[in-house]
Amino acid sequence: MSVAGKTVLITGASRGIGATLAEEFARAGAKVVLSARTAGVQALAERLRAAGQAAEALTGDVTDDAQAKALLQLCRAKFGGLDVLVNNAGVLVPGKLGMVRMEDARRMFEVNVLAVINLTQYAIRLFPKGKGGSIVNLASIAGTQGVDGLAAYGASKAALVGFTRAAAKELAPQKIRVNAVAPGFVETDMTRQFPAEVVTRTVAGVRLGRIGQPADVARAVIFLASDDAAYITGQILGVDGSMAC
Amino acid sequence: MDDEARLKKCFVETFGLSPDQVKDDLVYTGIKQWDSVGHMALVAAIEAEFGVMLDTDEILGLSSVAAARQLLRKHGVHRA
Repeated sequence: MSVAGKTVLITGASRGIGATLAEEFARAGAKVVLSARTAGVQALAERLRAAGQAAEALTGDVTDDAQAKALLQLCRAKFGGLDVLVNNAGVLVPGKLGMVRMEDARRMFEVNVLAVINLTQYAIRLFPKGKGGSIVNLASIAGTQGVDGLAAYGASKAALVGFTRAAAKELAPQKIRVNAVAPGFVETDMTRQFPAEVVTRTVAGVRLGRIGQPADVARAVIFLASDDAAYITGQILGVDGSMAC
Repeated sequence: MDDEARLKKCFVETFGLSPDQVKDDLVYTGIKQWDSVGHMALVAAIEAEFGVMLDTDEILGLSSVAAARQLLRKHGVHRA
């Protein structure tokens, strides 16, 4: 899958799926610009540079408009533009209906939806004129299928799915492709904190018989970002091992 | 090249106009090239030329050559 030489902006890149995305894109020869709220993203960029890969990082909150602008200015200043935007940053606060704090719901919509809309509006101006670019959003099986206990989170991810499909139609004339992946149950710092019985029960519902790995998701994202997916837009690709919800 | 010439170049190159067609009263949707898609291309050209990143509200207000000049003055990158 060819992403070599492309400039890729990845949000939420300090850990979990985002960090794996950064490593995998860099290993494939892409120039990566990383964003996260924690300083770990700087350490990751340094590690990638030490390995001879092109990487820059900016610490900040992606819901902050100044951070969004600064990220795009960094892409332009360091690498001359942008080819791929991966909207990975996300917030998940589980909660059964009746116990969902509205401030948590608002925060999920701010990060999972509004920040994506804002960053996308800035990013499309940096894609090469006439050649377009690719946007890959990190949705969720909670947004495509609905998951018990994740109604508010799922609503935000369903909004992201709607945005993805509409943006794909609107931006196609500019040769900009917009797709999403919808992971299922993936092993990350967050899911490692789940009670063992929850993990066992959830994995038992995955027909491929195992928990997903960040690399499973990263490979799907890189495919959609690459020229191999040149005729694919407006699609939501499930990466869930046929998970029962 | 002075700032006014740089601004004019953005319009010329984005919309395929001759320099004398770029006047203050050239407005959004006033020519067929300056539609919503052309507008984003113009914004990208201006941002790249002047090294700024415009807010969405500013983009919506960038409705003429005169408005573009005023906006760049506000950013301190157009001194003519």
